[in-house]
Amino acid sequence: MAPDLILILPEILLAVFAMAALLVGAFGGGDIRARPILWGVAAFMALVGLLVGLNPPAVGTAFGGAFTLDGFARFAKAGILLGAAILLLMSEDFLRRRGLLRFEFPVLIALATLGMMVMVSASDLMTLYMGIELQALALYVVAALDRDSPRSTEAGLKYFVLGALSSGLLLYGASLVYGYAGTTLFSGIVAAAAAGEGPQLGLLLGLVLMLTGLAFKVSAVPFHMWTPDVYEGAPTPVTAFFATVPKLAALALFARLVHEAFGAIAADWRQIVAFLSVASMFLGAVAAIGQTDIKRLMAYSSISHMGFALMGLAAGTEFGVQALLIYAAIYVVMNIGTFAFILSMEKDGEPVSEIASLNMYSAIAPGRALALMVLLFSLAGVPPLVGFFGKLYVIRAAVQADMVWLAVAAVIASVIAAFYYLRIVYLMYFGAPREGLDGGMAPAQWIALSASALAMVLGVINLFGIEGLAAAAAATLAGA
Amino acid sequence: MIGLEHFLVVAAVLFVTGIFGIFLNRKNVIVILMSIELMLLAVNINLVAFSAHAGDLVGQVFTLFVLTVAAAEAAIGLAILVCFFRVRRTIEVADINMMKG
Amino acid sequence: MGIAPLAFYLFAATVVVSGFLVVVAKNPVHSVLWLILAFLSTAGLFVMMGAEFVAMLLVIVYVGAVAVLFLFVVMMLDVDFTALREGFVRYLPIGALVGVVLLVQLGFVVAKWTASPGAEAARMAPAPDPAMRQNTAALGDILYTDYFHLFQLAGLVLLVAMIGAIVLTLRHREGVKRQDVLAQMYRDPAKALELKDIKPGQGL
Repeated sequence: MAPDLILILPEILLAVFAMAALLVGAFGGGDIRARPILWGVAAFMALVGLLVGLNPPAVGTAFGGAFTLDGFARFAKAGILLGAAILLLMSEDFLRRRGLLRFEFPVLIALATLGMMVMVSASDLMTLYMGIELQALALYVVAALDRDSPRSTEAGLKYFVLGALSSGLLLYGASLVYGYAGTTLFSGIVAAAAAGEGPQLGLLLGLVLMLTGLAFKVSAVPFHMWTPDVYEGAPTPVTAFFATVPKLAALALFARLVHEAFGAIAADWRQIVAFLSVASMFLGAVAAIGQTDIKRLMAYSSISHMGFALMGLAAGTEFGVQALLIYAAIYVVMNIGTFAFILSMEKDGEPVSEIASLNMYSAIAPGRALALMVLLFSLAGVPPLVGFFGKLYVIRAAVQADMVWLAVAAVIASVIAAFYYLRIVYLMYFGAPREGLDGGMAPAQWIALSASALAMVLGVINLFGIEGLAAAAAATLAGA
Repeated sequence: MIGLEHFLVVAAVLFVTGIFGIFLNRKNVIVILMSIELMLLAVNINLVAFSAHAGDLVGQVFTLFVLTVAAAEAAIGLAILVCFFRVRRTIEVADINMMKG
Repeated sequence: MGIAPLAFYLFAATVVVSGFLVVVAKNPVHSVLWLILAFLSTAGLFVMMGAEFVAMLLVIVYVGAVAVLFLFVVMMLDVDFTALREGFVRYLPIGALVGVVLLVQLGFVVAKWTASPGAEAARMAPAPDPAMRQNTAALGDILYTDYFHLFQLAGLVLLVAMIGAIVLTLRHREGVKRQDVLAQMYRDPAKALELKDIKPGQGL
């Protein structure tokens, strides 16, 4: 038992810290303790993230194979923890000024993060389910955090209904897979799939239903309906959170499930994932064009980016997983910077999310406009910024796997998507002047925005060595 | 003894009924939540049937966790619903005119 | 027909019919009641399969907690439910079509279920003979050992549900008079009583 506990030490630490923070909040005066709790949780998550990322602990499986800590899980966990910590620090200012900073918020975020850590380490259907649900239940609540606002509660309700529906589909699929393989362990499922002869109908139906459930979680087309409404309605810090860390966790889970549990029937899932990928890339790109609200636009942008990330997975190779990880990491960094800016958008103290309010923003705050421009160019995939390399990786993965049509589709979709990012840049520099934004930017937001923009420029040298890390991580998952 | 397939068919019918209910009651969130409960119930029948058929307890352990999570899910779903009702005085989801899809 | 098939068809028919009535009932209170019936009959099916503990749990957790929670909310919300049935008839044909197609697809797979040839060997926790070890005890044997981490995670899931329900619905109202038990207990006569020496014939 002891070696098992060492493998899940990061999870245990985070769980204990979250519960301790909850006690401090509940018995220490309530919401007046919210700020120190938020800072404490963020610092602790960053610390655990560094611990997982830098200090290679024992690697292996725990609890009879139900929980795996490998290079892949460590890469994803470090990204999740650090991303969640930065996002918490960024949101503090926004929440405090809107009266939403309640001490439960950081605790719920910590528990959601814990669920994501379990997700990326899951190598058993039950662990997978519990991780997803721990994450999802905490996120349903924070979506409705602004409980007196019709939009926020509506976002929470929609997110909940679709999330619960997707869990139902995923579970039904999982039950069929269990019935077919006789075990819930991924290693057992892949052995059963390899040993089967003829059409393994039960397994295939289970696979399709599970992928449907997961497609909801990464908001891939045609299961994306909830994304724009939820992103628009939820409080902006929550939207920022939804758009980044849970996506990384869901993608990692997706990759582990298809490679570890269904690796033997790769031809079947690769078609499905390729379809999800193409549909998401195009719908995200086309539907974003007409948007007037920047949070809605970011929703479609995230749908489109998920399409690109899934392209790496559709390749079904080790290089594809590496490309997926690189793409997801770059995506998270870009989105953190962009949302740091969106969090600071306000006029007369009220949050604004209209795109038109950015007209001639360069005249008001040249520095921020420049940083945002860099990020938008990077999101669009304009060379030589880092976002371009992310796209290059997934396209190369598709070409190497003889999916040239997918690569061509990706190039076309990214050209369409470039239009709406560039339109914002155009408005910022040449738009018709009108009364735009005022208000400053909290230090944490300013640091996140400039650091992320700087990373997009400086990263072109060697992508901060992320290639090697992602390659090592991918090798532990898909290397055979 | 009743065969495995009998139970699986009951579960399949119940699962489809749940999806059908979500389709049909698009405006009434309470019935949507109940339909989701039906889907989870179908999953539980499946798991227990496989567990009993294979003589393996893991399916029943899985059922235990599904039950726990379903209870937690119902609590949170109804809490969000109550909040929504307090603000909007209705539980219609289709009238989400605030946010155009 | 023996007793077992009779019981099976009775429970199965009740589950299916009451499940259907949950989604088509006009009054949500009736829906909840049908849901309770569906849960109870499912518990019957579970007992038939030898899963007594899960059956008992289904009755306690689903009927006792979840369904009652639903009933409570349905009755608490003052909603005109007939207005919510708008579009019901409009969606009925397409919903029925999707349902039938899906059912046929599922039926193809489950009505002639074939498990993997290795499924027997892949079992992780073979069930002991009920005569030797009861279902509940056998589940307890593995739940707190092999699946200990999931048990803890389930605890955290319930904690999240608790925090969530409190965050979303608890409102501290101003001006509500609450009982302060400690203040009551620490009251002593010196604080509560004042003795006045009143001279005879004088008022206070």
